[in-house]
Amino acid sequence: MHRVNRIVPVLLAVLLGVSGCKRKDKIRVETTEESGTTLASTVHVADPQASVQLLKGFHEVEQNAWRWTTGRFSVTLRPPIRAAEKGATLQVKFALPEAVIDRVKSTTLTANVNGAPLAGETYSKPGDYTYSRDVPASALAGDAVTAEFALNKFLPPGAVDQRELGIVVSSIGLEPK
Amino acid sequence: MLQRGAVLLPFAVCLALYWYGLKVWFVNDDFAWLGLRLTIHSTDDFWRALFSPLAQGTIRPLSERGFFLLFENLFGFDALPYRIWVFLTQFANLALVIALVSRLTRSLAAGVLAASFWTVNSALATPMSWTSSYNQILCAFFMLLSFWLWLRHIETGRMRYYWAQFATFLLGFGALEINIVYPAIAAAYAALCARNHLWKTGPLMAVSAVYLVVHNLVSPKTQAGVYGMYLDASMLTTLGTYWTWAAGAIRLREIGWGPVWLLGIATAALLLGLACFVWQQARARGWLAVFFVLWFLIVIAPFLPLREHVSDYYLTVPLIGLAMLGGWAVAEAWRRGGWRRGIAVVLATLYVVLSVPLAHKTVRWQYERSRAMRNLFGGVARAQELHPGKIILLKGVSSELFWAGFVDDAFRLLGDTRVYLLPGSEAVVEAHPELGDISESVLPESLTVRALEKHSAVVYEASGERLRNVTAVFKHRARQLWKAGLSPRVDAGQELCAEQFGAGWYPVEQGYRWMSRRAVVRLGGAAAVGQRLFLSGFAPEELLRAGPVRVAVSANGVALTTFALGPGDNRFERWAELPAWASRQTILELTLDVDRAYIPPADGRELTLAFGTLGIR
Repeated sequence: MHRVNRIVPVLLAVLLGVSGCKRKDKIRVETTEESGTTLASTVHVADPQASVQLLKGFHEVEQNAWRWTTGRFSVTLRPPIRAAEKGATLQVKFALPEAVIDRVKSTTLTANVNGAPLAGETYSKPGDYTYSRDVPASALAGDAVTAEFALNKFLPPGAVDQRELGIVVSSIGLEPK
Repeated sequence: MLQRGAVLLPFAVCLALYWYGLKVWFVNDDFAWLGLRLTIHSTDDFWRALFSPLAQGTIRPLSERGFFLLFENLFGFDALPYRIWVFLTQFANLALVIALVSRLTRSLAAGVLAASFWTVNSALATPMSWTSSYNQILCAFFMLLSFWLWLRHIETGRMRYYWAQFATFLLGFGALEINIVYPAIAAAYAALCARNHLWKTGPLMAVSAVYLVVHNLVSPKTQAGVYGMYLDASMLTTLGTYWTWAAGAIRLREIGWGPVWLLGIATAALLLGLACFVWQQARARGWLAVFFVLWFLIVIAPFLPLREHVSDYYLTVPLIGLAMLGGWAVAEAWRRGGWRRGIAVVLATLYVVLSVPLAHKTVRWQYERSRAMRNLFGGVARAQELHPGKIILLKGVSSELFWAGFVDDAFRLLGDTRVYLLPGSEAVVEAHPELGDISESVLPESLTVRALEKHSAVVYEASGERLRNVTAVFKHRARQLWKAGLSPRVDAGQELCAEQFGAGWYPVEQGYRWMSRRAVVRLGGAAAVGQRLFLSGFAPEELLRAGPVRVAVSANGVALTTFALGPGDNRFERWAELPAWASRQTILELTLDVDRAYIPPADGRELTLAFGTLGIR
């Protein structure tokens, strides 16, 4: 019994660590990038540098070329030079896969830039598309704008994938006029 | 047939095939075990941490709790020493397999081949690359060592081997529950090959029986879900799955290799080859081959009721039996020469060629995701240094990374820092309800807006190798992206949520907040019908000592639920159904009433309960 009484504190000391080490000393701290971000006018969604501009609603990059979106997605873009005077054109290059259109039959993509609504477009066949809309100059003030997109029909999780799936986007950008 | 130096073959194969297993970091359950020390504040806590039943009622003081507590204390989050220890244990296993099979078959070649066949099977890839599955490796060690001692006892008649076996058998319970079947292995061998020793397995069986009773008494029963036990005909289907997996080939379809029919033929050929050998041996009254098959069946038996959790690494210990059989079969066929040698070489080559790719791929996968987790963990540690006290919001966390550690609350190991995903991540991370609820890791929209506007959060992009601070991108767009207002979920211990806590609450303390007898908290309304109210907190022993307290909860003046907290409810979680009207409210004002308070002499405040999270889910 006396032996046990001697062993227990030793065991505890080893396991609980009376060594005085700080926990942080045992963590390998990685560096982070803290510098400011330069925004692009056109975002190629597979570009790792552009990922900061994908605000929400994008899945991981696939085949180094594109990303699935969810039903709602947003990006931030730098307006082209003099866009605040002349306006610009919002362009979304995307594909509508058969797997989606077979189930939803048709879907309408709508957008707004800094809250200014843009006309929607309805798609009912699979294929590659470019959604293109003029953006008024009044919506393009400042160093960056937010473009928000919504699909009225999309695939909920579990339909063909465990993720919510919308369209397959390759790029989103503001083109100068 | 074999040069002595060839005994190194299984060790070399193990190192070559599982090299990346040495370099993996931590994932999943590892974080729970690494966090065990956080629960230890006294000697009682220590014993509880080592021996109280945890996940699914498991008690594995040697292979999980003691192992992680000791190594975490010595090496912290440096995974390499843990991995070296796992490899060393596996090397001991390989040495034991060689020793056992050589002794049983009088063929060193059979021993070397058996250890090599066991090593290349893809079922070993997980234990060789995930530290939490060390229990399989250590269980194999105790079982092999016990059996080796049993053989020595039978050969020499010396009781010291018998009692040493008894000791290693007892230690085996500290590794894995399936150690309970060891007496059946010892008995099977005795019955087939040394019948006059069979009676000596009685005491071993008695120990297993006692363990079974005690374990059932102290461990919570898992009736359903992934770890549900189904003692029915589905056990045969599960056995069939493990049987075909054991041959290795069929699992190649998981990585898109070869047509299924071809892999099926290969599996059938391998199993047929083993069956022919067993038949041939049995006809000549050589029961050792039957014993090897029984090893597999006996050790796999405890896993058969787990039909919802069929996992390849559960084959680790059972496979030893088939590997011993295969090693002996090939060595014997080689010795006899002729067409037997040809067939044996073809089958052995087929087995190795079809096993290695999946083993290699599994280890690489574990390596890649564990390194990504290490980068994220280290990045968050750096962000914590740079922005002390701030909430860290992560964007771009992949499904793989989320399920590798985020869901296991890995970041609590960094201290008080709160780490969340940005709102909307629920739609991006692949859902696995059986593993966890993603939304618990996502900061509610309104709190995100509040945190960004109050400069109490930083946002990092986590999709690259290094974390990138992108707070500036989100700071001025928070209101555009997310709804402001009251959060439906609040953390009482966070200053960020303070504005939602009304009368009756004391100031925030280290991660929690005390309430007096009555307290009010305002939540954003339920998003949908069917959501429930969740309350988690702490009731001090001083309060419960005088008997149970009753807690009444009302919302907007309507009584919702009343519950009692009694002895043992110190840490409590309670759920309450919300009425349909709650989903139509923009604000739910909760009032909590506790029927008794206490005043700590040194404190002077009237205290009842301390709360952590309250909210609607």
